[in-house]
Amino acid sequence: MRGINLGMPIFLGYVPVGAAFGIIATSIGFTAAQAVVCSATALAGAGQFIALNLMKEGAAVLAVVAATTVVNLRYVLFGATLSPHLKGMPLGSQAVLAFTLTDETFAVNVADRRSGASSGASMAGVGAIAWTGWVAGTAAGALAASLIGDPTRWGVEFAMPAMFTALLIALAEDRRQAIAAALAGALAVGLPALAAIGIVIPSSWLIVIASMAAATIAAAVFK
Amino acid sequence: MTESYIWAVIVLMAAANFAVRFVPIAVVSRMRLPEPFVRWLSYVPASVMGSLVAAEVLRPGGEYLLSLRNPYLLAAIPTALIYHRTRSVLGATVAGMLIFAGIQALLG
Repeated sequence: MRGINLGMPIFLGYVPVGAAFGIIATSIGFTAAQAVVCSATALAGAGQFIALNLMKEGAAVLAVVAATTVVNLRYVLFGATLSPHLKGMPLGSQAVLAFTLTDETFAVNVADRRSGASSGASMAGVGAIAWTGWVAGTAAGALAASLIGDPTRWGVEFAMPAMFTALLIALAEDRRQAIAAALAGALAVGLPALAAIGIVIPSSWLIVIASMAAATIAAAVFK
Repeated sequence: MTESYIWAVIVLMAAANFAVRFVPIAVVSRMRLPEPFVRWLSYVPASVMGSLVAAEVLRPGGEYLLSLRNPYLLAAIPTALIYHRTRSVLGATVAGMLIFAGIQALLG
């Protein structure tokens, strides 16, 4: 119960963003069932939106999966951060917590850890309510998509860029992070121009290449 | 877009997502990550968002749109300011969408 209370703000935030995913997914050719299954099994926020973007352009399956994986590499750090608290927990319970690990559940659980009241059960509650919000939002969006007519009227095609812009500002507060982000942005916009001298980078790999290169340079320069 | 293509993406994305979340929890709790790798990982999220935003705003749909009448650029700036002030990803996203729709209506 404690976990559900803690997770309620996440639920309220996930429903509308999940609905945006459902609307966009069905607009590019997903059935409502596929959109819901995708949200229920991936629970990957930004990763799912990027997948839609690439699929719309007809990217290969491998390129789509690679891009979402790179976007979700941050979970390696989250998992590593949480892992000392999860020692001695059965592998099955660790798997359940891993499955529901998102930016928001991580933030809530880490804050709750500091208060000292957190437990495996409260973390599972946070995960369960977050998952429910994401899946319910997707279902509502996918089913309502046909009712709201032309989604572009509501600026839906800017949903992804808007969310990424907010997350960018959140992540790039520190000067080093801001420089890494700026470098990645310059590469993502500049690399396609190399086509003029015969170097063509497939657009579906652009984000992966630009962000990995920028992170590598930043990690090498900022010791 | 074929049905098998969509299902293939769904299944592989679920597997890959679970792996990046579960492996660190299961394995890292029993070992230490090398420091250079942790440092590299710490720059990945900001880099991903930087490349995504730049590509979506300056090359929407994969074509350069380096113009002051670019609605993506015009909407991204207030979206960033709104997030900076409110610290709400959801609020900034919704406001950004409405601003974008408004700019598109104005630009025709």
